[in-house]
Amino acid sequence: MLAARNQAAPQAREALAVLCRTYWYPLYAYIRHRGYDVHHAQDLTQDFFTRLLEKDSLATVDRDKGKFRSFLLAACKHFLANAYDRAQAQKRGGGKILGSLDFNAGEGRYSREPAHDLTPEKLFERRWAMTLLHQVLDDLRAEYEQAGKGSVFDRLKSVLSGDSDVAPYSQLAGELNTSEAAVKMTVHRLRRRYRERLRQEIAQTVGNPAHVEQEIRDLFAALRP
Amino acid sequence: MSEVRACPTCGTELPADAPQGLCPQCLLAQGLKSSKGTEAAEAGQPPTTGFRRPFRPPTPAELAHHFPQLEVLDLLGQGGMGAVYKARQPGLDRIVALKILPPEAAEEPGFAERFGREARALARLSHPNIVAVYDFGQNDGLYYLLMEYVDGLNLRQLLQSGQLKPPQTLLIVPQVCEALQYAHDEGIVHRDIKPENILLDKKGRVKIADFGLAKLLGQAPLDLRLTGTRQVMGTPHYMAPEQMDRPLEVDHRADLYSLGVVLYEMLTGQLPLGRFVPPSQKVQVDVRLDEVVLRALEREPEQRYQRASEIKTDVESVQHAEPISEGPPALLLGRTPELEARVVEILRHDKIAAIRFFREATGAGLAAAKEAVEWIGRRRSERSGSFQSARNADKNSLSKDGLAAARQTLLAPALGLMLIGALNCTGLAVLLLSTIRLLSGGQFTVSNLGAQEAILLSMDGLLGLAILWGAWKMVRLKSLGLAQLGCVLALLPLSPCWFLGLPVGIWGLILLMRPEVRKHFPTSS
Repeated sequence: MLAARNQAAPQAREALAVLCRTYWYPLYAYIRHRGYDVHHAQDLTQDFFTRLLEKDSLATVDRDKGKFRSFLLAACKHFLANAYDRAQAQKRGGGKILGSLDFNAGEGRYSREPAHDLTPEKLFERRWAMTLLHQVLDDLRAEYEQAGKGSVFDRLKSVLSGDSDVAPYSQLAGELNTSEAAVKMTVHRLRRRYRERLRQEIAQTVGNPAHVEQEIRDLFAALRP
Repeated sequence: MSEVRACPTCGTELPADAPQGLCPQCLLAQGLKSSKGTEAAEAGQPPTTGFRRPFRPPTPAELAHHFPQLEVLDLLGQGGMGAVYKARQPGLDRIVALKILPPEAAEEPGFAERFGREARALARLSHPNIVAVYDFGQNDGLYYLLMEYVDGLNLRQLLQSGQLKPPQTLLIVPQVCEALQYAHDEGIVHRDIKPENILLDKKGRVKIADFGLAKLLGQAPLDLRLTGTRQVMGTPHYMAPEQMDRPLEVDHRADLYSLGVVLYEMLTGQLPLGRFVPPSQKVQVDVRLDEVVLRALEREPEQRYQRASEIKTDVESVQHAEPISEGPPALLLGRTPELEARVVEILRHDKIAAIRFFREATGAGLAAAKEAVEWIGRRRSERSGSFQSARNADKNSLSKDGLAAARQTLLAPALGLMLIGALNCTGLAVLLLSTIRLLSGGQFTVSNLGAQEAILLSMDGLLGLAILWGAWKMVRLKSLGLAQLGCVLALLPLSPCWFLGLPVGIWGLILLMRPEVRKHFPTSS
């Protein structure tokens, strides 16, 4: 979002495209939840993103209140409300800028979700939060994997959700073939890196870095059962 | 394949698509914690800290070195707030609890000062239901509190044992309320009310622990503290919404919210999550407790209970279930008619709001207010015959005043029908009179009637009688069918009174179609 706003058009579009590629699922699920069938939802999703990326609609987003998530949802609602646009969606090809989205996986994920009695908007927020976390953790794991430390990540990852009782340090040291002090340091670094990545990712989606904390709180509230 | 797993940190169910199998809420929470105080810290507000290393408490032997004046006996437990030991003061020959704060906490700037302030405030709290603070200080960088030792268990342990029954709950909660009210009056908010902090001694006395420590240790809204033992864990579930959204604006009402959560958990064994089911629908408890719980769990502090003592009153009134009397409740004697009128107004929309208003106006307890409001509602509906208040009153009074109201409504058309019936009958009456005269040898006073007219008049008369009978059945609510028949007959163009009968008949039929009227007629078997 920051990149998308501050820089020239092609980079802005690319940044926006990256965001769209990451967060398309909550939107697809939202459209599905609004009652559209699988095929129609696919077309609509594609079409929505295409339009988003073609028009320079980002210019209309308020600088200070820039929450990409809210903007996306509002734009989608507007899009769905416009019947003409919906009809047109069937005719477009779409997907040129975004690349193909894995709708099969998306539909699979959607159908595996348990029934909710929350509003589609609330569900959108929840899914957004989940997608965000998935993205951050997957990227983090990939980072560790690249450094040859994939197994370390897997063993220690539960500290990221605050679980200090994964095992006593002495045991972990034995398992990972290193010293206790090294384990402590690794854990510390893992947490720190996770936090960095999380905040970075969120900063992408809010206009103002000062809003990151609030966004985390909002997402936390959205996940409250 | 789909086993339900719970997050070891916060205890909530892990969703099926949990990222890397980790709890999303905890993940976000961990993301909120910043490194030592470098992130925005409001003046005077302790910066959000995380205890990044698990706190390994020293052994009793190690501690003895720090506290020569005590006999440190056992480690009782540990949590994010530190570790607690059982110790003995040899001089006084009494058992005390020694609480050690995590050393990381002390590393913050200004901690010593805050610690002193908080400890002094806590020491001021002298209440049978609050764990007393005997002493506090700092020994070689190790901050400690010397407190009352409570020989018993905490509410969490009791909940886990499954031994807690509603009557016990109703005995525990008032004591908690007393403690909270006392502390709030002293200007101290606990901020971390949860079952782990509610202790019960062997005599069944409630003791609240860790008062004010949450603030002292710089509790961030989402500070999930680490623990060695799995039981004591700061879950966000007991926190009031404003503690998470606007932590700077938290006041004593946050404690009341937490108490609501605890109460719900005590009654049902579960946390009130999302759209939760009222306790009376989950377990066998008094319905009035639902209102207590719901009000304590209001998202907006303004809508919540404002005082712990109010919760206590309400819970106790449920405990000593008072029978509802028939006459005007004592509370209403001497009250102004304006109060009653206002109650009636609110009662039209929302009974619970009316009860609340009455309580605010008179300071009455929950049960008494409910009784008073119901009584007012009954009185009003009997007077005005309106169905609005009848609809709002509870089931028993509904059938009673609904009946009166139904009768009231039907009275007018019934009278109309009777009039029509009577008019129709006059023709018959004239005929009869004339017949009698004729038979007794007189003459018609009215011009001679031919046979045809005589028959017509008799038919009219019969019609009139039928209408009269129907009207009678209607106003007495004896028979729906006959009442309807009466109306139908009235509106048929069979008599000269038809112009009157038509509107009345239609009116009557419409009224008889209303469900609130119909239901008072006996159903035909």
